[in-house]
Amino acid sequence: MPKFSKNYVMNIRYANLLIIECLILLSLSALLSPALSQDKLVIELDKPSHIKMPIVIPDFIASEPSSVSGRDLASVIRNDLTMTGLFQVVEPQSGLPVGDKPDFESWSATGAQVAIIGRFQSRGNDMQIDLRCYDVALKRLEVGKKYTGQISDHRRMVHMFGDRVMEKLTGTPGCFTTKIAFVAEGGAKEIYSMDYDGFNTYQVTNNRSINMSPEWEPNGKGLIFTSYMHRNPDLWLMNLASLQSIPISARPGINASGRYSPDGGLIALSLSFKGSPNIFIINTQGQIINRLTEGRGNDISPSWAPDGGQIAYVSDQAGTPQIYIRPSGGGRAKRLTLNGNYNTDPDWAPKGDLIAFTSRIEGKFQVCTMKTDGSDLKVLTNQGSNQDPAWSPDGRMLTFVSNRDGKKRIYIMDSRGQLQVPVSRIAGKAPAWSRHSR
Amino acid sequence: MFNKYLTFFALAIVLITVGCSRPVVKPNLGPGAMGPGFPRPGTGAGMIQEREAGMLQAELRTIYFDFDNYSLSADAQSALQYNAEVLKRVPNAMIVAEGHADERGTPEYNLALGDRRARSAVDFLVTLGLPPNRFSIVSYGSELPVDPSHNEAAWAKNRRVYLRVSQ
Repeated sequence: MPKFSKNYVMNIRYANLLIIECLILLSLSALLSPALSQDKLVIELDKPSHIKMPIVIPDFIASEPSSVSGRDLASVIRNDLTMTGLFQVVEPQSGLPVGDKPDFESWSATGAQVAIIGRFQSRGNDMQIDLRCYDVALKRLEVGKKYTGQISDHRRMVHMFGDRVMEKLTGTPGCFTTKIAFVAEGGAKEIYSMDYDGFNTYQVTNNRSINMSPEWEPNGKGLIFTSYMHRNPDLWLMNLASLQSIPISARPGINASGRYSPDGGLIALSLSFKGSPNIFIINTQGQIINRLTEGRGNDISPSWAPDGGQIAYVSDQAGTPQIYIRPSGGGRAKRLTLNGNYNTDPDWAPKGDLIAFTSRIEGKFQVCTMKTDGSDLKVLTNQGSNQDPAWSPDGRMLTFVSNRDGKKRIYIMDSRGQLQVPVSRIAGKAPAWSRHSR
Repeated sequence: MFNKYLTFFALAIVLITVGCSRPVVKPNLGPGAMGPGFPRPGTGAGMIQEREAGMLQAELRTIYFDFDNYSLSADAQSALQYNAEVLKRVPNAMIVAEGHADERGTPEYNLALGDRRARSAVDFLVTLGLPPNRFSIVSYGSELPVDPSHNEAAWAKNRRVYLRVSQ
């Protein structure tokens, strides 16, 4: 897999990106009055009003002729911030005066409260990007960064700045540098990985077998997945650096839907070697630590609460597949879904407050969310069939599968479902969002 | 913020170290990972001839199921009764019960469903007097439809248990 090896090399390069805090920032903020500096440009996530923050992001300016397009660069972060559902990118995107000094008056005239200004230069394969985020009303620089790296890394550099902007404005870093793994649909069922926005897709596995349910190691170094490489649905771990795969659980029957505990030390999964598929917890060597469910139901698709204390899962013990939660150390199960005859695929939100899942409504599958006591059901999709939701690590987006355009593709949407866009260039299913690369 | 970049550098060092030394990862195939159990599909005893296996395979009937259901209908039961008589005539043949689901719904739940369907079929054959050690089970969930179309006729064909004669 030469493609993959190349990407591995690129990761090292990212890690070596030279990042410089702009000294200019310090001098600028020193000029601001002390009264103003106490104000804060903060987006209140839990406010019910959901008014989007207007932001202007002019095409980035090349300080000398470049093979890279300033419009393409700006579109990376326009798309990042738009997809959070928190920002409204305002016009115009070109033609604004972008001199050496911040032009707060003309930015303010667009209605924007925030402005992001980018300048860049490239030489050979290398480029440098200088990115700044201003509070337009307070006429203040909020974040400023310089990134240098290879031209081929330009999206990554802009995504990194987007993560910092989100951290500054909302208190939680963005997820723009994370990845989504998925299973190709139609033909070979190999596992692929892509940037969260669908760019830089590459094939991870090449075993010509059936592969299912990828899940990222919390440290991002590997993927676990179920594969028929040995003619049985076994749980495998692939190291993304060495590209070696090893079986983690290869018991008779299914070894399916493996999910890492938040600290990465344990894996919850469904095993059927005792009879019906039940939820077990194993360590990363594959030894059974705990059996979570018993009985004759089909128990599948565990999902850990972010504190590791509880596990949501699917069981059809009551006749139809429904979502239950149970303490991960064992204890009484509680059924969460009471409506409908098909509720599957629970995925616990990173903040712990919501569970996303798939529900069959009027014969079609839809992505829904509910609180962890089963209340406050929200149906987020309504076109075609939609399923397999997975939260982004910052909890602001969901990835899922939809067939609304005829074939199954990986989509992303903001956590309220207002924006829903396809991101995978190829047909796919079973998306898994990587955790933060910290 | 600074910490984050520090972490990047640390990660880079780790990655480079891993890349250079290429530690050999031991495949974990010991009894701990495999668990106790019966022979793997395809590793069957090879006790019957290819021609005999082919004839037996042609005789065996596929068992069909309703949506999101692994109970055996009257039709499924009579197909299994027929299969039981066929299998009793070739006592050396090992069988892999392959469970399948239609494409609708969740691939993971469908995998569990296929497992249960295969188990239902094998359990019934055992109640008809066949020894349990002649069977192994593999669920393919909704991954291997016989008819890839997206309609009720295709789905009905895909919700099945196929009894494969292993050699």
